Amino acid sequence: MDTLVQLTDVSKQYGIDGLPAVAHLSMEVARGDSVAIMGPSGSGKSTLLNLIAGLDRPTSGAITVGGDRVDTLSETGAARYRRRQVGMIFQFFNLLDDMTVMDNVLLPAQLAGMNDRQARGRADELLAALRIRQHVNAYPARLSGGERQRVAIARALVNRPALLLADEPTGTLDTANGEAIGELLLDLNSSGQTLILVTHNPDLAARYTRRVIEIVDGRVASDACLTGARR
Amino acid sequence: MKKIPVVRAARGGLSGRRVQAIVIGLVVFASVAAATLALGLLVDSSAPFNHAFAAQRGADVTATVSGASGTQLAATTRLPGVTASAGPFAEASVSVTAQVTPTIHVSSGHEKSTPTTVNQELTLVGRSSPGGPVDDLTLKAGHWPDGPGQVVLSSQAGLPLGVGSQVTVTGLAGSPKLTVVGIATSVTGTAQGWVTPGEIAALHAAGAPQVSQMLYRFSSAATAVAVNKDVAAVTAALPHGSVLGAQSWLDAKAQATGSYAPWVPFIAAFGVIGLVMSVLIVINVVSGAVVAGIRRIGVLKSIGFSPPQVVAAYVLQVAVPAAIGCAAGVTAGNLVAMPMLGQAAQVYGVAGLAVPLWVSVAVPLAMLALVGVTAFVIALRAGRMSAVQAIATGRAPRLERGFFAHRLIGRASRLPRPVTVGLAAPFARPSRSLATLAAIVFGVTAVIFGFGLRTSLDRIQADLSHAASEQVQVLLAGHQGPVLVNGQGSVKVSLAAQERAVQAALRAQPGTHHYVAEASGQLSVLGMSDQLSVVGFDGEASWTGYAMIAGHWYSGTGQVDVNSAFLQDTGTAVGDTYTLTSGGKHTTVQIAGEVFDTAGGQPEMIGSLSTLSAVDSGLTPSEYQVALAPGTNTGSYVNALQSALGKGYLVGVNDSGGTVLPALLGLVAALTLLIAVVAGLGVLNTVVLHTRERVHDLGVFKAIGMTPGQTIAMVVSTVAGTGLAAGLIAIPVGVALHRCVLPVMGKAAQTGLPATVLNVYQAPELILLAVSGLVIAMAGALAPAGWAARTRTATALRAE
Repeated sequence: MDTLVQLTDVSKQYGIDGLPAVAHLSMEVARGDSVAIMGPSGSGKSTLLNLIAGLDRPTSGAITVGGDRVDTLSETGAARYRRRQVGMIFQFFNLLDDMTVMDNVLLPAQLAGMNDRQARGRADELLAALRIRQHVNAYPARLSGGERQRVAIARALVNRPALLLADEPTGTLDTANGEAIGELLLDLNSSGQTLILVTHNPDLAARYTRRVIEIVDGRVASDACLTGARR
Repeated sequence: MKKIPVVRAARGGLSGRRVQAIVIGLVVFASVAAATLALGLLVDSSAPFNHAFAAQRGADVTATVSGASGTQLAATTRLPGVTASAGPFAEASVSVTAQVTPTIHVSSGHEKSTPTTVNQELTLVGRSSPGGPVDDLTLKAGHWPDGPGQVVLSSQAGLPLGVGSQVTVTGLAGSPKLTVVGIATSVTGTAQGWVTPGEIAALHAAGAPQVSQMLYRFSSAATAVAVNKDVAAVTAALPHGSVLGAQSWLDAKAQATGSYAPWVPFIAAFGVIGLVMSVLIVINVVSGAVVAGIRRIGVLKSIGFSPPQVVAAYVLQVAVPAAIGCAAGVTAGNLVAMPMLGQAAQVYGVAGLAVPLWVSVAVPLAMLALVGVTAFVIALRAGRMSAVQAIATGRAPRLERGFFAHRLIGRASRLPRPVTVGLAAPFARPSRSLATLAAIVFGVTAVIFGFGLRTSLDRIQADLSHAASEQVQVLLAGHQGPVLVNGQGSVKVSLAAQERAVQAALRAQPGTHHYVAEASGQLSVLGMSDQLSVVGFDGEASWTGYAMIAGHWYSGTGQVDVNSAFLQDTGTAVGDTYTLTSGGKHTTVQIAGEVFDTAGGQPEMIGSLSTLSAVDSGLTPSEYQVALAPGTNTGSYVNALQSALGKGYLVGVNDSGGTVLPALLGLVAALTLLIAVVAGLGVLNTVVLHTRERVHDLGVFKAIGMTPGQTIAMVVSTVAGTGLAAGLIAIPVGVALHRCVLPVMGKAAQTGLPATVLNVYQAPELILLAVSGLVIAMAGALAPAGWAARTRTATALRAE
C-alpha cells in the first residue's frame, strides 16, 4: 500500500484540564483512497482534519503526509505544505467575498508563486470542468450554495494537491446540491485524487467513499472498508 | 435604568476585546499627551515672558543701593504697595577672564575651534539660595554654591561656559578663581552670576563702595508710570543718593518680547497640528471601536438590554480605557513638556515655562468628553436598530465597497498577491481610510515643515551672524583709547596708528584671506522716528556675508544697502534715492539693495565709510572683520593674532554657537517626532480594527497557504498605499505651511527674508521626506501584522 497519510498515536488536548479532542489516534490513508471520517458532534472529526491539514498542532504523536512530518512544521512550513500537498473544502465554503470567483480560485496558485498565465489556464480548466465558468467574474454572494462549493473545490484543486480534505462539504447544501457535490468528489477520487471527508451523514459516506473511520471521543471506534459501487 | 447589567456588559466587552481596549487607551494616552504639550506650548507662546514672570515671582523692580542701613532697607519692604521683597543681597562688579571653546558655523555644520581667552565684566550677587519670595531663580544645571570659590553663572551672562569651567577674577589681589558649579536664569536678569554671601566680601575691590541689591514686587506695577511711582516711593524711604539705579521688569519684558516674537508662529503651527491630529485620531479610534461592536449590541438587545442600557454599556466600555489613557496622558504630557518647555524658554529667553494648570485639567476632560460623545452618537445609532438589524449589520457580507479596487489592483501581476490584497483593503472602509490618511498627512506635514524650518533657521543663523564669512573680529580701542604696551601702563595711540598696526598684523598673519575696517554708529535722521544704525566699511566688503533680500550689494560711493526696517520706516523701495539729513549735514544716496539684518529691529544703512561719513563725520572704524583662508584653524589664528597685536586689542571669534539655535532645533525635532508618533498610533488603530474585522478571512488565507511572511506583507500593505499617498499629499501642504509661517516669523521680527531662507526644499529631499508617510504607516502596522502572522489558523477560521 502506498501510504500517503499516516497518523501515529496522535493526541490533541485544548487546555491543561480539558478532555482530549483526539486521543492516541493512529490511522493510515493510502494514495488514491477515499475515506469518510464520521462521528457524533464533538467527537474530534474536524480537529483530526485540522491536524492533518497542518492548521493545528497535535499535543503528541506524529503526522506524516507524503513522507514529510507535518506536526513539526513551523507556521511557514505548514503554509507551504498546505499549498503543495493539501486542498481544503469547508462546510461554509470560506470564500473571500470581495474577490471574484476567478480571483478566489487563483489565490492559492498566486500565493505559491505560479506564473500568472499558467495559473489562469489551470483555473479556467477547473471552472469549466466544474461547470461554473459562466460565473468567472461574479462575486460569491451572488452564487447559490452549490455553486459556491464548486468554486471552493476549484480553489482547492488549483495547485494539484496530493490530498483533498473536505469538512462537511454538503452540510449547508440542499439534497440536490449535496448529491451533485458528492458526485463531484466521487469523480475526483475516481481519477486518482486522495480524499478524506468529514461528515455526520452516513448516506454520504456510504455513497461517495470506500472506507469509513468512526471517531468517538477522539478515538477510532471502527475502521471499515465499504464494498460495491455507490452510484 | 438598572446599572449592574450595564456594568457587567461593559466589563464583558472590555475583557472580550482586550486588544481594542488597550489600543483605545494607548491612542488616547498619546493624544492627550500631545494635546497637553501642544496647548501648553500655544498658551505659553501667547505671552511666554508673562507666564515665566508669574511662575518665577519675578522682581517688578531691582534696585541697586548703597549707603543705606539694614534697618532702612527693611523699612522699604513694609511700604504700602510692596507685596513681596527679597534682599539686601551684596553685589560686586568684577572683571573676569575665561578660556572658551567657540563653536564655528561652517558650511558642513559646526566645528569646535581651539580655546580662546575672553574678558568680561560681570555683576555678581551674593545669595544663599536660588529660591525666595521674589526672583525665584531657575537652576538649569549643576547646583547652588555651597562653599568658597564657587559661582553660578546666569544663562544670560553671555559667557559660553559650562559647569566645571573656571573664571579668573582680574583686578583683585591674588586673581581669585571661581569654579562654575551651576547655570541659572533670572526672569528679569537681576545678575550675571551668583556666589555665596561670604564670597562677595572676598570679591569686593578695596575702596569700592558697598553695594546691595533689593528686589521688590508691588501691587501696582503694570505700567511704566506705576513702576516709576513705586521706585519713587522706595527712593524717598531711603537716604538721599542711596538708590544708585532701579531696573524695571517692563524693560526685561520688552527685550524678551522682541526676541521671542519671531518664534511664536512656528510653535503655534506645531501646536495646532498636534491638537487637530489628536482630536481626529481619537474620533477615528472610538468610532471604529463602537462600529466593530454593533453585532454585540444586537446580541445584548436580543437578551433584553434596552437601548439606553446598550448605549450606556458601550459608552462605558470605551470610556474606561479612555479615562485611564487620559490620566496617564496628562501626566506624560507634563513630563514630556518639561524639557520641551525648557527649550522653548531658552528660545524665548525667559527663565522657565510650565504647562498651565488649567491646561492639565481641561485637556483630559475635553478628550474624555470627546470620547464619550463620539461613542454615544454611534452607539445611539446602533441602539435604535432592532436586535436583528444590529446583528445583521454586524455580520452582513460587506457592501460592494472596494470590490472594484480589488479587481483592478489584483491585475498588477508584478506585485506579490498578498501585497495587492493589502493595497485594495482601504477601499472597503473609505471613511476610516480617509481618517487614517488625514492622520498620516498631518504627520508627514510636520516632518516636511520641521525639516524646512530647521534648514531655514540654520540659514537665518548663518546669515545674521556672518560667522561663515567674518570668522574673526579685531576690536580697536577707539580714537584715543588706552593701549597696553609691554604689559605696563597705558599709552594713548591714535586711531590711525591702531589701524596701521592691525593691518600690518593681518597682512603678516598666515591664514588671513580678507579684511575690512568697519565703523558703526547711531544717527538721528530727519524724518525717521527711530535712530538709524549705520555701518560703514572702509574697503571692499562684498565678502562680509550679508544676505540680500532684494537688489545687490552697494558698489562705490553714493550707493547703500538698507534693511527691511529702514524701507518700512521711510516708505522707500530698492532703487529709490534717499536724502539723509542729520546734524545739519545731508547726503543723497541710492538704495542698491535690501539686506537681511534685523539690527535689533532698528532701521539700518550699510555703505562705504566715505559715503556715510558725509553725514556723520564722527563715524570711524571701531573693528576689523576678517575672513580666514580655507583650512585655517580659527582658534590658533586668533591666539596668534592676539599675541602679535598684544593686549591693547581684542581679537575674538565670531561665535555662532549660541544657545538659542540648538534649543530651537531641539524643539522642532521633538515636536516633529511627537506628531509622527501620534500619527503612527492612528495607523496602529486602523490596522488593529482591520485585522480584527477580517480575522476569519485571515484564517482562510492561511488555510490555503499564506505564510506568516506573506501575512505580514499583506497587513502592512493595507496602510502602505495610504502612507505613500499621504506623503505625496503632504508635500505641497508642508511646503505651503513653511511658506506661510516663515514670512509671518519674519514679519514678527520686522524683517523680510532672503530667498535662500524661504527656498529650502530640493525635489529629491521632498521625495525622501514624503517617504516618511510610508515609514509612519509601516511602523504603525508592524505590531498588528505580527499578531496576524502569529494567529493560529484554526483559531482564526473559527472566528465570526
